[in-house]
Amino acid sequence: MPRMCKAVIKAKELAEYEKVLDQVKVTQKDLEQDGFIKNPFFHGIVAEVPEQHRTKEGHAKVGYALYFYTYSSWKGRALYMEDLYVMPEFRGKGIGKALMSKVAQLGLAAGCTQLNFAVLDWNKPSLDFYLSQGCFDVTADMGYHCMRCEGAALEQLAQGDT
Amino acid sequence: MHFKVRAAAKEDCKEISRMIMELAVYENMADQVKTSHEDLKRDGFSPNPFYECLIAEVPDEHKTKDGHCLAGRSTCGHVSVSGQRQPGYTVVGYALYFYTYSTWKGRSVYMEDLYVMPDFRGKGIGTGLMAKVAQVGVEKQCVRLQLSVLEWNKPSLDFYIAKGAEDLTAKEGWHFLRFHGQTLDTLAKEAPKD
Repeated sequence: MPRMCKAVIKAKELAEYEKVLDQVKVTQKDLEQDGFIKNPFFHGIVAEVPEQHRTKEGHAKVGYALYFYTYSSWKGRALYMEDLYVMPEFRGKGIGKALMSKVAQLGLAAGCTQLNFAVLDWNKPSLDFYLSQGCFDVTADMGYHCMRCEGAALEQLAQGDT
Repeated sequence: MHFKVRAAAKEDCKEISRMIMELAVYENMADQVKTSHEDLKRDGFSPNPFYECLIAEVPDEHKTKDGHCLAGRSTCGHVSVSGQRQPGYTVVGYALYFYTYSTWKGRSVYMEDLYVMPDFRGKGIGTGLMAKVAQVGVEKQCVRLQLSVLEWNKPSLDFYIAKGAEDLTAKEGWHFLRFHGQTLDTLAKEAPKD
């Protein structure tokens, strides 16, 4: 569903919420290319409302979840949910939960045994929501830290210069 | 020490499985390992694989003191049916990775495991494996390489930070959350009908 890509660009609203709008580099064209090739980099689902509930601008797609398959060398196939987003005026109605449940269902059908994702520790509404759904905090409970190489550090590493 | 890094073949899955267990033992989590070499073969060598893997090999004259690659059995220098394993080489490390996606930055690569057998550390093999993962990722236009490390694992933390990695948990407050087992089943049962 390439039209989902326009909805994902609304993910800029999510970036605004997380206070990092200037970091969004992905374009609609990138999403269409990377999500809809033979071995896609991601999959997505959207939440749509009936016509009578569209926003004043006429949007019917009011939320989305973007995920991809990962691998745990200990447990096998897994899923990572990169984004879960519902437009502010549609929150509190079970849409976020429905999107996440659907991702879980799709993952189980594909033989996955984990659904993983990340949350900022100051984002209490999201943390509370997820913990109330039964997940556990791998970082707090097991001590795993997320690490990242990008930009010049990644280039140097790839060239074997470190 | 001379070593080679190459793409894993499905015949390497028993060796990879052995080293996955060794890494889990090092992390004090051996009881958590459920994957078998058959799972690895099915999931890594299909038309749409869940992961890719690189293997580090050293010439046989450098193999471990007991002369074996697997406890009790010698597979050193074995040439597989596919002919991809080099005669005279012993597998001593691996990196397992897969492609991920950032809706902000685009294609990324996630290094799930990086492991070198204890006797072969300090010789640049870990660096060689990680650099090759980065190179493969950059060739596929990935803009990030991500991984996770246990906070008590200071040698590994120091190794990655020396390579230019940033600790996003410490710096920005990112936490990994997970649904699994019963909690995943319960969540999935609540999905709306299509």
